[in-house]
Amino acid sequence: MGRRHGEKVGAGGRVVQEARPQRITSPAVTANRAEGNLTASEQDAGPGGGGGGGGGGGGGCRRGPDERLRDGDSRASPSCASAEPGSLLSSMPEPPRSDPNSMIHRLLPVPDPVPTKSQNVLSGPDCDELPYKKNISRKFCGAGSGSSSSWRRLQSGSMKREHQGDWYGGAVEGGEQEKGKGMMGVGAEDEDVDELLAALGYKVRSSDMADVAQKLEQAEMAMGTGIAASDDALLSHLAADTVHYNPSDISTWVDNLLSELNAPPPPLSPPPRFDDSSSLDRQNRFLELPLVTRRASAEVYEPMPVPAPPAGRATGRFAFGSDSQLDVAPSPRDSKRIKFCSSPPSSSSSTTDAATSAASPLPVVVVDTQEAGIRLVHALLACAEAVQQENLKASDTLVKQISVLAASQGGAMRKVAGYFAEALARRIYRRLPRVGVGSSFDSVAFDDMLHMHFYESGPYLKFAHFTANQAILEAFAGCRRVHVIDFGMRQGLQWPALLQALALRPGGPPSFRLTGIGPPQPDNSDALQEVGWKLAQLAETIRVDFNYRGFVATSLADLEPYMLLGQDTDDRVGADDIDEPEAVAVNSVLELHQLLARPGSLEKVLRTVRAVRPRIVTVVEQEANHNAGTFQERFTEALHYYSTMFDSLEGGAAAAATADSAGGRDLTMSEVYLGRQICNVVAHEGADRTERHETLAQWRGRMTSAGFESAPIGSNAFKQASMLLALFAGGDGYRVEEREGCLTLGWHTRPLIAASAWRIAGGP
Amino acid sequence: MMMLLLPHREEEEEGGAAGRRRFPINDNADLLAEVLGRLDGRSLAVAGCVCRLWSAVGRREAVWEAVCHRHVAVGRAGAAGGTRSVVAALGGYRRLYRLCIGPALDRLAGVRRQGPAVSSSSSAARHVSLSLALSLFSIDCYERLGGVGGRQQQPPASLLFLCKPVDVS
Repeated sequence: MGRRHGEKVGAGGRVVQEARPQRITSPAVTANRAEGNLTASEQDAGPGGGGGGGGGGGGGCRRGPDERLRDGDSRASPSCASAEPGSLLSSMPEPPRSDPNSMIHRLLPVPDPVPTKSQNVLSGPDCDELPYKKNISRKFCGAGSGSSSSWRRLQSGSMKREHQGDWYGGAVEGGEQEKGKGMMGVGAEDEDVDELLAALGYKVRSSDMADVAQKLEQAEMAMGTGIAASDDALLSHLAADTVHYNPSDISTWVDNLLSELNAPPPPLSPPPRFDDSSSLDRQNRFLELPLVTRRASAEVYEPMPVPAPPAGRATGRFAFGSDSQLDVAPSPRDSKRIKFCSSPPSSSSSTTDAATSAASPLPVVVVDTQEAGIRLVHALLACAEAVQQENLKASDTLVKQISVLAASQGGAMRKVAGYFAEALARRIYRRLPRVGVGSSFDSVAFDDMLHMHFYESGPYLKFAHFTANQAILEAFAGCRRVHVIDFGMRQGLQWPALLQALALRPGGPPSFRLTGIGPPQPDNSDALQEVGWKLAQLAETIRVDFNYRGFVATSLADLEPYMLLGQDTDDRVGADDIDEPEAVAVNSVLELHQLLARPGSLEKVLRTVRAVRPRIVTVVEQEANHNAGTFQERFTEALHYYSTMFDSLEGGAAAAATADSAGGRDLTMSEVYLGRQICNVVAHEGADRTERHETLAQWRGRMTSAGFESAPIGSNAFKQASMLLALFAGGDGYRVEEREGCLTLGWHTRPLIAASAWRIAGGP
Repeated sequence: MMMLLLPHREEEEEGGAAGRRRFPINDNADLLAEVLGRLDGRSLAVAGCVCRLWSAVGRREAVWEAVCHRHVAVGRAGAAGGTRSVVAALGGYRRLYRLCIGPALDRLAGVRRQGPAVSSSSSAARHVSLSLALSLFSIDCYERLGGVGGRQQQPPASLLFLCKPVDVS
C-alpha cells in the first residue's frame, strides 16, 4: 500500500465557513407588556396573542374588539387553549406597497401607531379572504353564549386605542354575546383587555360595526348550530374541517363568510391528526404556512415562484394540507373571494388571501403555539422582504420580534427560526463571520466534526454514500484495477463499505486506488494522511490491495487532470498491470455546489473530470434551489428546506434518543451544521456564499451541457436505500424516490437530497 | 421400598426404552452446535448462560454464522467462503450480529409491531440484507481503528442509529 503526503495544489478560493452561532436576544421584551400580560392572564393564549411580539404592547394594533371577542370565544371553548387567529393573522406579512413603511406597520404591531393608516385599513372593502373567519365563526357557534361583562371590559379597554371609537355597543351586542364569552373568560382583566385588543389585530371600522354584527349573526345562522353544536370541545373543532380565516377586517370577513356559506363547500379534507404535543404536526403546519402565504403573495406581491414540492403533501397531517388545493392556481372560487383593494389593506388581508387561495376547506388547528408559529413564519418572511428592500429599520424591528416569537415555540421550529433570525441579523448588521482560508484555526476540523455528527444523526449522508457506492460498484464490475477520486474526503466514511463490497464481489477484489481531496488544515495536521492510513489498515484486514493518495486543495478548481491521473505506474510493478487501464470513478458528495460561488469554477472542474475519463461520476447534492432569484425567494426556499430538514432530524432517529447523550449531541451538532449552512445561504453574498444548492433538474442541465449523460442508478441501490431507511427510527417519514434514474431521499413529500450518476456522453 | 423400587424403575426404564437411545446433548458438541445454530440471536445468547460447554459452543463462529444467515436475506449466494474471511477479518459473525443484525432486526420488528399500516414504499424492504449489514459493520470496524499515533478517537457512533429506541409518534 503506498501512501503519499497530501500535496498542496495552489491557493484557490475554497471558502471555509466559520460561524459561531449567536443568539440574538430581543431587548424589546420589556416593552412587550402585552405579551407579558397575555401570558399571565391567558395561559392558553400564549405569546402568540401578545401584541405581536417585540413590536410593543400597545402600538399599532388598531383592531376591533370584535375579533377579540371572537377570539376569546374560541378560546373559551372548554378544552384547549385556542389561539387567536386574528392576532396570528394580523401578523402576516403585507403585500409590498409603494410605501414600505406602511407595509411594516401593517405587519406585526410596531410601537408607533398610525391612526390614519388604520382607518384606511378599516375601510378596505372586501379585501380579505374568509377562511380564518369561517373558523372563528364556527367557534362562535360552538362556544355558546357569551358573557357580556367581559365584553364590556373589552369595550372599555378598547377605548384606549387611539382610533377606536365606540365599539359595537348595543347594536352588535346581541350577536356578539356568544363571541364575547370565551375570550373574556380567559382572564380578560381590564388591564389585559388593552393588550388583547392590541394583540388580536382585529380591525373594524366603528361605523361598520352594526352591519358587521348583523352579518355575523347571519353567518352563524347560515352555518347552523347543528354543525357547531356537535363540536363542544375545541378538539373537535380542530378535527373538523375548519378553515383558519383572518377576522381582522371584520366587514369583509363576514361578507366573504356569507358568500362562502352560500356557495357549496368544497370537499373536506380529512381531519388533521391533532396532537398538541406532537411537534411533528406543528412543524408540518409550520411548513405549510409559508406556502400559503406565498401563494397569496403571488397575487399581491410581485410574482414569486411557488415552490413545486407541495405537490402531494399528505392531506391528513398538515394544517393547510390539501394537495390539489395547494397546487391549483386560484380557482374561480378563490378568485371570487380574493378581492384586491387598492388602498392599503389590513395586515391580515394578504394572509387571508393566502389562506383562501390555497384552499377553502383547509383543516386548521388553532393552538396558541400554532398561531405564534404562523406569526413567526410570517415575521420571518416579512423580515426577508424588508431586507431585500433594504429597509433596515423595519428589518431590525422584525428580527427582534422573530427572536421573541421563536422563544415561544418549541422543537424544530424554534431552532429553525433561531438560526434564520441569526442569519438575518448577521445580514442586517453586517456582522458576518469571516469566511475564507485561515479564518479560524479549528474551523476545518470543526467542520469535519459537525459533518460526522450529521452523518450519525440522520440517514442523508448514509443514503448518499451507499447509493454512490452501489453505482460505483456496478460500474466497476469486471475491472481488475479501479481508481476512485473523492472530491470531499473528510473522514472517509464512504469507503469502508465500498472496500467490503469489493472484497466480497464475485471474482474477488480488484486492486483499489483511492485519491482523496480535502481542504488545507490550518494546524498543519495531515488529516488526509490519517484517513488514508485507517483505510489502508481496513483494506489490509480484508485483503484488498489498496493504494491511497491525498491532495490538499483549497478549491476543486485548482485540480488538474495530470494530478489525478499521474503517477499511475509508480507503485506498480510488472508490465501486465500497466496494460490494463484503470477504471476511474469520480465521487462528489455535497461538494459541487460550492463551486458555483465563483463563475467558471464548475465548468473547469467538470472539464477536469471529463479529462480523467471516468466510468462513472457520482454526484450527490441537496435538492433545493438556493441559488437563483432574489434574496427573498432564496430565503423562502431555504426556510422550507431547512424546516423540513430539522423536522426530519427531530422526528427521526435522533429525537428518540435525546436522553441519550450521544444521540442528543448528534442532534445538536447536526443542527449547528445545518445552522452554518443557513447562515451562509442567508447572510453571505458573492464568493462567500458557498452554499449554492441547486435542484436535480438544474444539475442535470449542467452535467449534460458539460458532456455527461445520465447513468441510471439501478434497482439494487433503491432496495438498499429502502432497507437502510427502514432501519432508522421514524423511518416512515423518510421517502426514497426514483426520478429519471436518480434517487432522492426526502422527508414526507419533500425531497431533500438527490443522488445521481453520470458517465461521459457518447460512450467510451 | 423406595430403594427397591428405584432400581426396579430404572431397569424398567432401561428395558422399556431399549428401542430409544439416550443422547445427553452435552456429550456431543457438534450436535449441540447444530441445534444452537437454529436459534435466534437472543435465545442463543441466553443459551450461552447455561453451562460452560454451552457457552463455549455458543461462541463458535460457525454457530453465529448460521444464525446470521438464517436471519438476513442473502442477496447473492456466491462467494460464501469469501464472506467468511471478510467477516472474520472485520470482527466475526457474533460481533456482526451483536452490532448490526440484531439491532436491525429489533428495529424492524418494532416497526412491524406498530401495525401493518406502514408506508408502502418501504414495506417491501422490511428485512435486512447481508450486504447492508456488512456495509454498516465495516464502517463501524473502520471507526474503531486507531489513527496514526493513537490519537484520541471519537467513540464509534455510526451504528448508534440502530440502537436508539424506535420513535413511536
